[in-house]
Amino acid sequence: MTAGPHRSPGADLDRTVGRLLTIGTNAAVLLLAIGCVLMFAYRLDPLAGGPPLEPGLIIDDITHLQPAGFIWLGLLVLLATPVMRVVVSLRGFIIGRERTMSIVAALILVVIALSIVLGRAES
Amino acid sequence: MLVGLWLITGGAAAGLFGSLLGLGGGVLIVPLLTLVFNLPLLTAVGVSLVCVIVTSGASAGVFLERHVANLRLGMTLELFTATGALLGGLVAFLLPEKALEILFSGLLIYTSITMLRRGRAAGGPEEETVVDEEVPGEDQFFDASLSGPTYRVKRVPAGALGSVGAGVVSALLGIGGGIVKVPVMHLVMGVPLRVATATSNLMMGITASAGAIIYLSRGLIDPFVTAPTALGVFVGASIGSRVAHRIDVRILRALFVAILLYTAFQMLLRAFS
Repeated sequence: MTAGPHRSPGADLDRTVGRLLTIGTNAAVLLLAIGCVLMFAYRLDPLAGGPPLEPGLIIDDITHLQPAGFIWLGLLVLLATPVMRVVVSLRGFIIGRERTMSIVAALILVVIALSIVLGRAES
Repeated sequence: MLVGLWLITGGAAAGLFGSLLGLGGGVLIVPLLTLVFNLPLLTAVGVSLVCVIVTSGASAGVFLERHVANLRLGMTLELFTATGALLGGLVAFLLPEKALEILFSGLLIYTSITMLRRGRAAGGPEEETVVDEEVPGEDQFFDASLSGPTYRVKRVPAGALGSVGAGVVSALLGIGGGIVKVPVMHLVMGVPLRVATATSNLMMGITASAGAIIYLSRGLIDPFVTAPTALGVFVGASIGSRVAHRIDVRILRALFVAILLYTAFQMLLRAFS
């Protein structure tokens, strides 16, 4: 009953989740850096207001070396990284049969889903 | 291009200061963007929330791999911080900007006082909570399964309540919320300071994401301001974490408190102008 928090049946969950966070953040920052270089190369004024998020245009912008495509992809990867951390943890808890922690992780995902729904509903 | 470089530099300074002094950096980014670059407060908060995710992702991964952060405790509390952030993100759009500026000034003054207290306490041995006897009537699951090898987590419901507050403040003002979460975990729940700080850092990612998603949905995350600022924060925080052990932060802390108080004054002026 008094076992520590770092026992994870099967895989080392802490390490897996830690690596996921590091890789996701580094990938996002790399995309943001490319976007910044392109923004400077095109002499765009950051304070003039960037284009809004249009997911359908991201790939097109990237293939045309437009900064907005790289930056929006970087921002989406960044926002998705903590959420993926919860998803991977949930999987680990289910495999380790940690029922209460599985419910906690699932509820966090519900709150994130509510943020998306309510954010859009009110906008 | 010059403005972009200034945003990177400002972000790097916020990331460096934040990392050296154990803060997320959001407390500096919002005033930087509003007072120096004259951006609306809600836009600054949206950018700052993204920067908080960068700071959290860069350091929490290392904390987890080194088993300093407590994943289960962090996830249990972040259910409540994320709920608070959802509420804060929705409330932020209902409040007038002046009210948010006054709240932010209050946060800056509170942070200054906390930094001064931390400065006085620095140098003493870290308070470690040892495993104590089973307390009858306490929550059996949470107390036991969230505890670490050298400490027992106590008063989970109180910690959950504090976490909701931290989440509301985070989404409302664009900060990581560590200034609330760390004292709650350490002083109320009996978590050692080092574990509380690392776990708070881990929690910031999902808390800031819950808030940032709402700001993104409302079109308040400007990609061209966010990218250079977040890039700067990443660089500054990375440098800070490497040199932190070599720097005497006492003078830095005094300078930081002076900057925070000056910024609070400027923010109040802006609110009442």
